[in-house]
Amino acid sequence: MNLALTTRSLAVALTIALAGASGAAAADAITPGETQIPASEAPADAVVVNIAKMKYETPDLKVAPGTTVVWVNQEAMPHNIAFQKGVVGDDAFEGAMLKKDEAYVVTFNEAGTYAYHCTPHPFMRGKVTVE
Amino acid sequence: MTLRRCLIPGPVRSLGLFATTSLIALGMAFGPASAQEQQTPEQPAQEQQAQGEQTTQTEGEREAAEAAQALASGEADEPVVLNAPKPDARRVYVQDPAHFAAVTQQFVIDGSTGEVIGMTDGGFLPHPLPAADGSFFAQVSTVFKRIARGERTDYVEVFDSETFEPTADIELPDAPRFLLGTYEWMNALTPDNKQLLFYQFSPAPAVGVVDLEGKKFDRMIDVPDCYHIFPATPDVFYMNCRDGSLAQIDISGEEPKVTNTEVFHGEEELLINHPAYSMRAGRLVWPTYTGKIFRADLTAEGAKFLDPIEALTEAERADGWRPGGWQQTAYHRKSDRTFLLVDQRDEWRHKAASRFLVVMDGNGQRIAKFELGHEIDSINVSQDDEPLLYALSAGDQTLYILDAETGEELRSVDQLGRGPQIITTHDMDS
Repeated sequence: MNLALTTRSLAVALTIALAGASGAAAADAITPGETQIPASEAPADAVVVNIAKMKYETPDLKVAPGTTVVWVNQEAMPHNIAFQKGVVGDDAFEGAMLKKDEAYVVTFNEAGTYAYHCTPHPFMRGKVTVE
Repeated sequence: MTLRRCLIPGPVRSLGLFATTSLIALGMAFGPASAQEQQTPEQPAQEQQAQGEQTTQTEGEREAAEAAQALASGEADEPVVLNAPKPDARRVYVQDPAHFAAVTQQFVIDGSTGEVIGMTDGGFLPHPLPAADGSFFAQVSTVFKRIARGERTDYVEVFDSETFEPTADIELPDAPRFLLGTYEWMNALTPDNKQLLFYQFSPAPAVGVVDLEGKKFDRMIDVPDCYHIFPATPDVFYMNCRDGSLAQIDISGEEPKVTNTEVFHGEEELLINHPAYSMRAGRLVWPTYTGKIFRADLTAEGAKFLDPIEALTEAERADGWRPGGWQQTAYHRKSDRTFLLVDQRDEWRHKAASRFLVVMDGNGQRIAKFELGHEIDSINVSQDDEPLLYALSAGDQTLYILDAETGEELRSVDQLGRGPQIITTHDMDS
């Protein structure tokens, strides 16, 4: 476990202790969008990860803390991003399913490595390294 | 709970039948009067049939006659819980997923006689796993606290093959089962029957290891993007991967060792979900939607691919013949024969029932093409020297039992749940 993960874990533990709800932990590591949005409404300063041909086009992304990443689906097959338990909080987290030309925004608040996958297509995998 | 309805000829069982269904028993007993006169408890009707003296008496008639005779002789009814006969190569298990119902049933049938000899209950889309040597049978199952909602529990259940009592109930943590229409090789027992391997689809491909000897869940193994489980040895199994290769997974060490074979089929060659695999022979038989069949022999050393064969002739393929159904493929280990359900169909009607069956030898030469006379979804064969061909109709809820050599229908078993789909057997006849 690296320092960043340790820091994040402590923050998560503190949040749980204060809030008494493990679901709140997700908000510490990431700030997810409430739902999908049209790709045209994605923040202009966001880092874009396109999805096409059953792949995340930039599966290994490195960003600075506080960066907003937007995933944009460019094909008719619906996709999303999902984090397993323990990645962005104690609970698993599933982003909204994206149809063609829809986007989903996540802001990464803390340093760490965040592996994700597509819920119905677990062979689609990517990660965001925040440092 | 396990239900039993086992056939043990004799006065005790007959009297039990009479006491509980006396009107039926009497009514049926008076029908075949000649049968009553000829039959004695010392010479059960089954035996008589085998000797050719009685060929038309039904099982119900025989039981009714026995019950009537026992009553006439003054024998008392002593109801007991029966055991099933010892398993043999002709015992066949019919799993009924019941069109995705929350609870399901498995029927245990004596293929030689066509009698249901017992049943087991299951939860949601359970996966049946009979040990090859007949020493037990198991299932991986799922239940919910409030029938189809609430807390989910995945578990492995092991059954005594004669009493049908559960001998182990092993919970799987974090509900890891892949819930899907049952594919025969998505879960498997290892050849030594000491471990059970089950597949997890989400959130990431993994294979769960259950220690049957220690009666406990062991661990999850991360695997590549691959599906199905074909054990070659207690520590080595194979999977079929999205990239068109097989993955060999060696779990003997602390970390699994993954080795991929060459890509053995094109992206447009769609392998069906129901390959046949003989664990004792290590032979994998895997058809495509067109009836091209890939074969491989799986060992600890590696996968040796054989030349693909074509189940259908060029003329048949031009005339719209394609495989179709659910469990469409069967393999008889001793004769090295492959069986495949086929019919004329649209390209994308691959899950509809078939009315025909082709039989191929080890060189891929056609031996026979049988017209089955029914809409058949699944097939399998017994692994004895004179194999039975099991042909299951989900629509009829009936198992038709044929002579695998001639295709002649010998007998059938009906009322097998709501949508029976999976046929499994013991490969215990050396």
